[in-house]
Amino acid sequence: MSGPVPTEAWVILSAALFAIGGIGVLTRRSAILVFLSVELMLNAANLALVAYAKQWATAGVNVAMSGQTVVFVVLAIAAAEVAVGLGILVAIFRDRLSTDVDVLSEVRL
Amino acid sequence: MLVFAVLATVMLVGALGVVLLRDPVHAALSLVGTLLTLAIAYVVLNAPFLAAIQVIVYAGAIMVLFLFVIMLLNLGGEAPAPTQPWIRPAAWITGGLVIAGVAAALVANPGPALDTAAIAAVFQGSGVEQVADQLFGPFLLSFHLVGVLLLTGIVAAVGLVQQRATETDKARAAAGQAGHMPPEVPPMPPVVEDAS
Repeated sequence: MSGPVPTEAWVILSAALFAIGGIGVLTRRSAILVFLSVELMLNAANLALVAYAKQWATAGVNVAMSGQTVVFVVLAIAAAEVAVGLGILVAIFRDRLSTDVDVLSEVRL
Repeated sequence: MLVFAVLATVMLVGALGVVLLRDPVHAALSLVGTLLTLAIAYVVLNAPFLAAIQVIVYAGAIMVLFLFVIMLLNLGGEAPAPTQPWIRPAAWITGGLVIAGVAAALVANPGPALDTAAIAAVFQGSGVEQVADQLFGPFLLSFHLVGVLLLTGIVAAVGLVQQRATETDKARAAAGQAGHMPPEVPPMPPVVEDAS
């Protein structure tokens, strides 16, 4: 195949990353690894956004750049989420000495 | 196409490592590999600014925080199987269906072919200026909301640590009265959040 990589290829790759992240959320037992899988899903969504921003760039610079701006916002939200989430995890670990989500099924500190 | 094939392979191997590797440190490092490959993918997709931010914020700050917590909690390998044995095959089947569904829908409805020259004309420079124009223009509300979210996150994280410190103080004071021992100086509450 020649020419630029079609957007569909990037989006299928993004869907694959998202699905693998989802599998991780469902099968991992340690809460930290569930968190890692959630990060993977966030990044898969970012990849799709950037790929479509390129696909529709010819519609104008506003369309092209709004996709990338949403990725920027998602990055900031991910940083906040990780800061609070890991803080909660450390607090739970101090009480329960475990981060196994099956052990933590009743969510109380 | 070769670039895409290499990037996709490394990304998928890294992602599978996150899901399959037993040692949490290995899983986190495997995610770092995927994130760095994603940064290269952003360069290929005409988003060099996002590539830089991806390396600095994700592969740098966020993953260091993850590794820090994994090593702080000294997590070993997790228990091999989930309590409900049907979850694992069900998750893999669902994931496979998601990929197959998206792929089928995209192959059946391809978008217009990419006009490389026109796209290159739109993406000029590093993209910092254009992203800033969007962020402080149409996305102003999102910008403010993210600011409020970050503030809430910081307050929540500090509150979490403060509450712990107060409880520890009380526990130590009670132990001191019972044993007629002066309460020790409480240790510094560990900093578990990073305001990046």
